[in-house]
Amino acid sequence: MSPRSSSLEGVGARLPRKEDDRLMRGRGQFVGDIKLPGMQDVAFVRSPLAHARIRGIAIPPEDRSRVFIAADLDGVKPIRAVSGLPGFKVSEQPVLATGKVRQVGELIAICVAPTRAEAEDIAARVTLDLEELPAVSDMIAARAPGAPLVHEHWGDNVFLETLVDIDMASAFDAPIKVSRTISTARQCMAPIEGRGVVVHLDHRADQIVFHTASQMPHIVRTGLAGCLGLDEGRIRIVSPDVGGGFGYKAILLAEEVCLGWLAQRCGHPVRWLEDRREHLTANANCREHHYQITLYAERDGTLRGVDCEATVDSGAYSAYPFSACLEAAQVASILPGPYDFPAYRCRTWSVATNKCPILPYRGVARTGVCFALELALDAVAAAAGLAPEEVRRKNLVRPAQMPFDNITNKHFDSGDYPQALERALTAINADGVRARQARGEEDGRRIGLGLSIYCEQAAHGTSVYSGWGIPMVPGFEQAGARLTPDGGLELRIGAHSHGQGLETTLAQVAHEILGVPVARTRLVHGDTAMTPYSTGSWGSRVMVMAGGAVATACTELAERARRIGAHLLQADLADVRFADGRVTGPSGDVSLAQIAHVWYRRPQDLPAGVDAGGLEVTAGYKPVRDSGTFSYAAHAVVLAVDPALGEVEILDYVIVEDGGTLVNPMVVDGQIYGGLAQGLGTALYEEMAFDAAGQPLASTLADYLLPGAAEVPAPRIDHMETPSPYTRFGVKGIGEGGAIAPPAAVANAINDALRPLGAEMLHSPVTPRRIVEAILAARAAPSRRDAA
Amino acid sequence: MNAPLRQVPEGAVAVALTVNGRPVAAQVEPRTHLADFVREDLNLTGTHLGCEHGVCGACTVLLDGEPARACLAFAATCGGACVTTIEGLDGDEVAGELRAAFNREHALQCGFCTPGMLVSARDLVLRLPEADERRVRLGLSGNLCRCTGYVGIVRAVMSVIADRRARGIAPQDGAARALGPVGAHAGDGVGEGKAVSAPPTAAALPPVAVEVVEDFIPAHTFAQSFSLAQPPDAVFAAFADVRAVAACLPGAFVEAEPAPGTVAGGLKVQIGPVAATFRGQARITRDPATRTGRIVGAGADVGGRSSTQGEVRYRVRPGQDPGSAVVELTVGYTLKGPLAQFGRPGLVRDIAGRLTALFAANLEARLAGAPAPAAAPPLNPFALALGALAARLARWRARLTGG
Amino acid sequence: MKPAPFALERPRTTADALAFLAAGGRVMAGGQSLGPMLNLRLAAPGRVVDVSAADLRTAAREGETLVLGACVTHADIEDGRIAQAAGPVLAALLARVAGGIAYRAVRNRGTIGGSLCHADPAADWVNALSALDASVEIATPSGSRRLPLGDFLTGALATALGPDELLAAVRIPQPAATAGFGYVKHCRKVGEFAHAIGAALIDPARGAARLVMGALERPPLLIADARALFGGAVDADFAARFDPEPADAALQAAGIADPVSRHVHVEVLRRAVMQAAGLQAGRAAA
Repeated sequence: MSPRSSSLEGVGARLPRKEDDRLMRGRGQFVGDIKLPGMQDVAFVRSPLAHARIRGIAIPPEDRSRVFIAADLDGVKPIRAVSGLPGFKVSEQPVLATGKVRQVGELIAICVAPTRAEAEDIAARVTLDLEELPAVSDMIAARAPGAPLVHEHWGDNVFLETLVDIDMASAFDAPIKVSRTISTARQCMAPIEGRGVVVHLDHRADQIVFHTASQMPHIVRTGLAGCLGLDEGRIRIVSPDVGGGFGYKAILLAEEVCLGWLAQRCGHPVRWLEDRREHLTANANCREHHYQITLYAERDGTLRGVDCEATVDSGAYSAYPFSACLEAAQVASILPGPYDFPAYRCRTWSVATNKCPILPYRGVARTGVCFALELALDAVAAAAGLAPEEVRRKNLVRPAQMPFDNITNKHFDSGDYPQALERALTAINADGVRARQARGEEDGRRIGLGLSIYCEQAAHGTSVYSGWGIPMVPGFEQAGARLTPDGGLELRIGAHSHGQGLETTLAQVAHEILGVPVARTRLVHGDTAMTPYSTGSWGSRVMVMAGGAVATACTELAERARRIGAHLLQADLADVRFADGRVTGPSGDVSLAQIAHVWYRRPQDLPAGVDAGGLEVTAGYKPVRDSGTFSYAAHAVVLAVDPALGEVEILDYVIVEDGGTLVNPMVVDGQIYGGLAQGLGTALYEEMAFDAAGQPLASTLADYLLPGAAEVPAPRIDHMETPSPYTRFGVKGIGEGGAIAPPAAVANAINDALRPLGAEMLHSPVTPRRIVEAILAARAAPSRRDAA
Repeated sequence: MNAPLRQVPEGAVAVALTVNGRPVAAQVEPRTHLADFVREDLNLTGTHLGCEHGVCGACTVLLDGEPARACLAFAATCGGACVTTIEGLDGDEVAGELRAAFNREHALQCGFCTPGMLVSARDLVLRLPEADERRVRLGLSGNLCRCTGYVGIVRAVMSVIADRRARGIAPQDGAARALGPVGAHAGDGVGEGKAVSAPPTAAALPPVAVEVVEDFIPAHTFAQSFSLAQPPDAVFAAFADVRAVAACLPGAFVEAEPAPGTVAGGLKVQIGPVAATFRGQARITRDPATRTGRIVGAGADVGGRSSTQGEVRYRVRPGQDPGSAVVELTVGYTLKGPLAQFGRPGLVRDIAGRLTALFAANLEARLAGAPAPAAAPPLNPFALALGALAARLARWRARLTGG
Repeated sequence: MKPAPFALERPRTTADALAFLAAGGRVMAGGQSLGPMLNLRLAAPGRVVDVSAADLRTAAREGETLVLGACVTHADIEDGRIAQAAGPVLAALLARVAGGIAYRAVRNRGTIGGSLCHADPAADWVNALSALDASVEIATPSGSRRLPLGDFLTGALATALGPDELLAAVRIPQPAATAGFGYVKHCRKVGEFAHAIGAALIDPARGAARLVMGALERPPLLIADARALFGGAVDADFAARFDPEPADAALQAAGIADPVSRHVHVEVLRRAVMQAAGLQAGRAAA
């Protein structure tokens, strides 16, 4: 770890963002804002049915030249996202349906017209003749023999089944055994900007240029090249301003492939902008998990073992690049959470259904496993007659154990998990809340206190991803740094910034080393033609990886500058040092701008034997150990439940968070606030329901409820800063954490409030209707199921 | 392929309005909403589209100085209006204060919702008498942000309100405004009060082949019954006359009876502003011994996007009074396609009850010898399913507007 | 998500509007309900008659009745621009309902007449005005007619309005000075449609109570004479004597089979009654 500079702009500075101004003046440039001469709009004909054979597609003759179907797409290959895990069954996703459709919204035909409205007119005139097939929309039913088959040749609907068993039998004699069935609803990631792609031909460069809202331009290029049968060099991806990602923009879309083909076919620029109905009903979903979980414990709350059967609804196709099984594979490896216990068994199924493919959404499987384990831990506490924090104290990995290899060989790099818990309990005033709870509320509501703790593996590297064998394995991350002739700095990264504030925070990293003012540092990103290769922005990795790469490049740049500076100062190299943007020797100093001026404008003044690479560096970076950083947090929430109507009001929310060294605490807080809002959406509001025929039942934001300003509280955040021993500056990835713990904390608080009424909520979102239902059911048939 | 050039579309009307202080005269299609107009025709791309159904707030602009959804105002209805987009607030004093506060409080991340958020925030700053957090949050509830958790936004808005009140700037009460929708003006008569050419109607599309699946499992079922002051045998006999039965259900029509026990026809429905015609086939079986019958059918709308399958099982039994009958219906249906994808199922009973009551009244009148109701039709299995649709749409639409 | 093509008329007067409607067309006022349906192509009328600029933007008082033109907006009511015609009590009461409708940007365009014509069971005016015993004035080709709101609302999304007719005005009687009004809705989030609505206009001085349960996927369930819910008589002590059983029975009679739904609607009604009594919304233990 480097010492932090005293500068107001370096690592640790709470610096307002450079990117704000253009966005606040309506001058951001999103895909939908791009206008190209002759550009035409695309609308798609999509399947209205979840499972059907296509018998015919009737196109009025006058529209035939503007409508394209699968048979027209010569040379285009289906999307394949194959996992190397043994037993994985491969799905092929045709970019336009051939023969059969397997989900509502699947693409059937491309319609192109001068405006989107006219393209939709054409689409409405295309008539479909579909032979409906039985659909399977429930993942548990899909696993059963005799279920309709999504991919007939598989013989079942299971993409992948896995099993890990570590001495499970040793726990069976534990005095406390608690079993629960816990599940999380299917969700839509719902960035406010949908997907969008504009494609044109650059004849001079002999390239097909895609402007597409993507978190991972380089990965999309590889995927598109494969599907379109083109050299990667013939494709340029530009990802401009992107209106929120959250994982949704880390997928290769069939629409992107279609437009790549269409632009070549038509010769003029083409554009498709996803509308909200397409986002909700047709494109990728996330989060749908089902757990049958059993915890074994001693009477004092010490865990003896965790036994789980986990099913993930992967939808109809394996999405590129993360595949259909990343989510369930992650469940098996991270279910143990931040706890230390001796026995573990987890069987997982990644199941195909007639629904949209799933994608890793902020938190990926961590949100689901945190929900399952933390709810089950509260059930153990109730069965043992202990406070929820007692059970956690007994089982959290202790600081003295760090670094710690857990039962699934996750390597926790650093931290003090129990301290986070204690600080959260103190901040939320657990004793005071419980006293209030005992007194009762005048208005008849019931108070609940809920806890949840997680640790979040982030910036997973080669050693983790190579084991999964999916189309994408992160290696060294690279960054470019170039001093301009006037002493400014240009940084280049292959990842993408779409709200994370990297234009500011990576400039802070560079400033920490080179001392160039943040205002004079520019970040170039989002363009495969102008940036080094990167797997992109996912997995809370960018500050660890691109931050490390920028720091490495700048360090090398500083050294090159120091050598030139020593010459200019006519001093021995050993006698000069680089600090605060200047090279200082015994007799004076010289600024970076002066050094740049010499390199570019007065090369005649350079020393003999100067490094020919000059003041432009591309450097690669990996942490000392690439198994990932482990940030963590304890969330504590106090809420009031109105038992008559099931309404929930959050009264207080505390987050004690350790993200290692914080580059810009304001931006980190923003990530946590935003993650919390999404976590509360998972906890209380968001649900993408399907009927038995596989019809999605929410097609507007009036049905799919996103939390608004009135629903989300301002949490109190307390930072611990335990640096990672493995990364530059000791930073840890934190982008997803805020979204991981809230569903568990909120459900635990609701259950704490409802426990005297005999109701227990085990499914997210916890809606008013479900609460009232559970209370009325408990009143009608009181029962207790856990014998301790 | 030669691309058709973008040109003034058929049916376009003239509209004259003021955008960001400049007069604009244009030809627009009536269907072009204001957001597309400013984005596509005027290249003012700061107004963003996030849902196009009025919920997300990303497209919020000022109409006559007041916030309004640009996706729900058609440009052709905005003649005479003053439109201010985010680009028009560049030099606005309040917007300037808000931009400084948004930057300071980290009130934006991806920035996509920000233009609409600033327009709504500006309105709150001008109207709210004090920086009360609850009111600010309620006031911002029509603008969704997926990145920030609203923390910075709320802080920024509260700080600007507090600062302005500290400087002695009083809130505006809006008393001087004229009544009626903002942006709606009788104006100069351009594009108003005269008929425009009707849009080209879609050429008649080929009917969609639909099969009746005898043993489908309906997604939703419910039971209904009604009494008639007619003997059970007469009622049961009446059910044998398909056209007569159809005549009792408004909107239904019989086109043919291609085979014994098979009916081809459909149902026209008008549910609020939604009009749909489902055409298809139904098969009818009857068992006189038990006075039971089953009608199972399937239908689809034009283009085959929305479809339904349904069945009605009926049983006629003697009523309590001599010479009366009770008809018990069990209705099951499955609805698919865009029309199915709104709201949640299971809200059928009340609307089905209305349809059933209407059907019963018509049937009774018919059995009593009254003339058939004008333009009537078949006891179509989709009819009741469409009742369910009405309920869903009702629920869904209310969600859009809350009122 | 763009509308199918339609032709547009923008009449300046009710007479012009009726003339256009005679030739067929869908009326649009503020467009906050029809707009989404058009954008989603769920509604595809060949012709839209936009009455937002017509002579329906008025507020007047006729004796003890407030007469609001159909194109008065929710924001007009929220901001008190109708207060002079409404009088302070009715203005405040209506302002509270109006301020809870959707979002400000929607309220600036959405109209009271448009809301009633869409006849959404979960809409605010449909329910609140039923409790207030409002009626509507309908412009017809041959003149005009009046209907009590209960007769106007014939079903979910259905009204008694003929295709050639136009809702011209809403007539709202002044509640008695001794009456209390309660209006409570149960939503999952702010601005969302209500899952249950309770409205109560209770005048213990006259022994009268008019209660509404709404958002039932049918027209508001009106109990015009609600004495049975208060043990047979409405007096000063009515809040303490609210009896949920008859309300539950009314829901059952209306075909609401789901006990959870009935439980919620009765509770929301109870809270509206408490509000009418001037008490806190009075959450109660289940």
